[in-house]
Amino acid sequence: MRIGTLKETYIADAALFDSRTQKVWLAVGAALLVLFPFMASDYWLYLACLVSINVASATGLNILTGYTGLVSLGQAAFMGLGAYTVAVLETKVGTPFVLNLLTGGFVAMLGGIVVGIPSLRVKGLYLAIATIAASFIAHFIFANWKFTGGTGGLSVPPAKLFGMALDTSFRLYWLIVPVTLLMLLGAANLFRTRVGRAFIAIRDRDISAEVLGIPLLRYKLLSFGLSSFYAGVAGGLWAYFFRVVTPESFPLLMSIFFLAAIIVGGMGSILGGILGAVFMTMVPELLKLVVDLMPGGSELTVFLSPVRTVIFGLLIIGFLVFEPHGLAEVWRRVRRFFHLWPFRN
Amino acid sequence: MTGNFDWAYLFEISLTGIAGGGLYALAALAFVMVYKATRVVNIAIGELLMVGAYLFFTFASMFALPLWLAIPAAVLGTGLLGAVIERTMIRPLLGEPPISVFMVTVGLASVLVGLVEMIWTADQRRLPDFMPTQPIMVGDAFLAPKVFWGALIAVVFIAAVLVVFRFWRGGVALRATASDQAAAYSVGINVPRVFSLAWVASAMLAAISGIIVGSIGGISSSMGVFGLSVLVVVIVGGLDSVLGALVGGILIGLIEALAGAYLGGEYKLLATFIVLVAVLLVRPYGLFGTHEIERL
Amino acid sequence: MHQTPTSPRRRTLLAAAGAAALTSPLSVLAQGAEEIVIGGSIPLTGVFAFAGVGINAGMGDYVKMLNDAGGIKGRKVKYVPEDTGYKVDVSVAAFKKITSQNKVNLYYGDSTGFSKTINPELDRNGNILMAGASFATELNDPKKYPNQFLVGPDYTEMFGILLKHIAKEKPGAKVAFVYSDSEFGRDPIESSEAMAKQLGLSVPIKIMTPAGSVDVSTEVIKLRRAAPDYTIFHGYILAPIPEFITQGKQQGMTSKWMGTFWTMDSSTVMKMGEAADGFMGVMPYRYYYDTEKAPMLEKIRALRPEYQSTAYIQGFLAAMLFTESAKRCLDAGKPLTGPNLKAALNSIKDFDTGGLIGVPITISGNSIPVGRVYRADMKAQKMVAASDWIKL
Repeated sequence: MRIGTLKETYIADAALFDSRTQKVWLAVGAALLVLFPFMASDYWLYLACLVSINVASATGLNILTGYTGLVSLGQAAFMGLGAYTVAVLETKVGTPFVLNLLTGGFVAMLGGIVVGIPSLRVKGLYLAIATIAASFIAHFIFANWKFTGGTGGLSVPPAKLFGMALDTSFRLYWLIVPVTLLMLLGAANLFRTRVGRAFIAIRDRDISAEVLGIPLLRYKLLSFGLSSFYAGVAGGLWAYFFRVVTPESFPLLMSIFFLAAIIVGGMGSILGGILGAVFMTMVPELLKLVVDLMPGGSELTVFLSPVRTVIFGLLIIGFLVFEPHGLAEVWRRVRRFFHLWPFRN
Repeated sequence: MTGNFDWAYLFEISLTGIAGGGLYALAALAFVMVYKATRVVNIAIGELLMVGAYLFFTFASMFALPLWLAIPAAVLGTGLLGAVIERTMIRPLLGEPPISVFMVTVGLASVLVGLVEMIWTADQRRLPDFMPTQPIMVGDAFLAPKVFWGALIAVVFIAAVLVVFRFWRGGVALRATASDQAAAYSVGINVPRVFSLAWVASAMLAAISGIIVGSIGGISSSMGVFGLSVLVVVIVGGLDSVLGALVGGILIGLIEALAGAYLGGEYKLLATFIVLVAVLLVRPYGLFGTHEIERL
Repeated sequence: MHQTPTSPRRRTLLAAAGAAALTSPLSVLAQGAEEIVIGGSIPLTGVFAFAGVGINAGMGDYVKMLNDAGGIKGRKVKYVPEDTGYKVDVSVAAFKKITSQNKVNLYYGDSTGFSKTINPELDRNGNILMAGASFATELNDPKKYPNQFLVGPDYTEMFGILLKHIAKEKPGAKVAFVYSDSEFGRDPIESSEAMAKQLGLSVPIKIMTPAGSVDVSTEVIKLRRAAPDYTIFHGYILAPIPEFITQGKQQGMTSKWMGTFWTMDSSTVMKMGEAADGFMGVMPYRYYYDTEKAPMLEKIRALRPEYQSTAYIQGFLAAMLFTESAKRCLDAGKPLTGPNLKAALNSIKDFDTGGLIGVPITISGNSIPVGRVYRADMKAQKMVAASDWIKL
């Protein structure tokens, strides 16, 4: 039972991980992450990479929607921008992947800033609908511009690290997971700075924030830019992972997926982004496992895809109605229980 | 140069576009109905359309009921669904930020698509023909009969709704609840009943729209994307304006037809979304919508 | 205080169980060492389910027939399908799962997107020959896709068969293309336009319809103004073809209407209604109810008394070609690797498919450029042959 957390300096107060138990668990987690690829099969490595990319993108969306309160249904489009940039650079120029990923991030950031410009005039749902429009326009450009390969898309050669091609899930794991961790750390630290606090102020009451002296347009654009940078890098990783980028790879449904992920996980917390992305990516696989284990298995597989769609929808509705703060809140409650045990509250 | 411009072509395309816009207007009306009364943006409107069309398919094709039974059955069934949705998903979220309810409707769309796929599979199907097949000719210009009759039905319904809102007590109650919930309560209007009524009416309108759209383009589990075009129509017309639904629908239908004819099929959606962005920047509340004033 | 036994021992047990669960896929080899495995990413649900279910049944039936007759040189064949809902990432996951649990030599993919995505993986794996439901022109490139093949003509070749038929029936005719705004739809259009010109035909208009469009009235008006003699639809399954035909006829168009593989299943065409009487299209296989002499077709009819779709025949044929390649490979004493299997496939010359395809086939590249034009007879509710077997 934790009795109290006594902090003596501001630095200690603002620390991300304050207790020894947290640090120990962090070390254990890091060890597991390092050991995992050596123990797991190709299938689980594939899933791990996918989860990691989704975590990165969901965290980006969380910055925009969870922390700044600007609902966006364009996350997939920004990922597409990043993915296409990486694809074009890798096929046509052949620059090293670090540069490609960063450039992909910046191109997506520019796209995000452009889409964010109307955000001063339009608010809430209207902005969400504007982002839908943006994603359609992006899709149109991808599909009709010869430079991006048209509807056939582009094939991406594997990323090369000192001449070694990163073409298996095992090798890509070592690229994707560290990048994701870096991005998570960046996001967590963002909300210890005044920029992060400004975002939260904008979410809570943007008119009041402006009255307090936070220049709305600049910070809203910054939020859009940062979140799309994250999406762009995630999209670049996606391109190296799937090795094919087509206009159909980033549909509106994917944006909805990410929004659902942060709702289910818990908007406005980094842990929420992680939990939500992991949960939403793994649910279809878990469902498949359950169906495999049930006796009437082969008959039921016909229903697998629509059941997945229904469960996706029910998860969103269920969490919004019953647990609006998401899985992160469930986690916090569990933690609180253990902290206070044997007392109740 | 202008002498060679094909005016007949332009007229024909425009005619088709306007009639097609009537279809949009009907679906937009269903959307506006819900927003007007409950301030909820129902992005699952396309899926409600789909449910209406599938119910009609079930009654008319699978159960082989006669038309005068199948259509009301489908419409009432969808209305029932609307009431259920309102009670279970929308009512508990009263008072939550509008984004939450918006996301609930996103989830609802998924659920409806999945249910339809489970029950009827994802195959494309055709609805039984029931509209007159005589082509409509306006001078030399040809208008497809289905589109014409669909648009006519749409206009009739919109006129009916406008009249109802003006004169019937229920309609007035709806408008009252829309402007100020607390005040409506205090004059004795049963606000929860009005909410249910709005959703049921909206679902029924969506079902009618779905039957018409389905009989033109066939039904499938991805019919719901029609809802995106409807979204553009209501933004352009104004989220809470019935007249805006009509005008917006006709305008968007016209623009889509012209874009498709003169630029190419792939430009249709692009043109609609560019119009959307333009309207959002210039008149965010649409042509006829009420201006929202935000206070500290 | 009473300690509930949740602590160290239980936790380590749970951890051990978790680790075991993670590593178990490696240790379970769910096949006999002798079996030849055909893996499949099959769209049993989703928009392509009508085809996926047929393909699944076709492949399963052929494998069963083969095993009952002794397998391939005494080795049994195992068919391992997974549902993908026609989504590329799910297909890839299924591929990874099946290949990590079995030693797979033959694989069936559900879409063009999947085939393109998995290609580098196939090259790296080196042990798999792959076919799929896709007939994309891009895949018909032995240099870029050395470990893959198409179970029929590619979309450009399908157009070619139709155009050749048109050129024979009505030289110098005007042929309009109506296609969907998707990779599937756009695939053969450019090259087919060139081919049409080569055959002396003209293409007065190419109309692209946006995906998921409901009202095609404006497109029909454009089509009517071009007054084509033939209209070829591509990139659709059913909608919006019936609407085009109905409105076109109402407007007085005299064009003949044609479609490509995925529209041409008997049940799909019959859904088009009265207006589609005379609808033509290219089909590389015989239909389930064809009355011409075809021993394999009779076997299928004996096995399955109810109508089987053209997708079933595609799956059946794919399994036949898979196992034939494996047999030839083993006969030559070579190990079952991707390049060897492909070479074995390419050694197929004048091969009799038992009547599934009306003429003996030769697979020199990645596709089988053979097909026949069929016409819909609405009264008889059947597809009737309208040409000979055309080879490109």
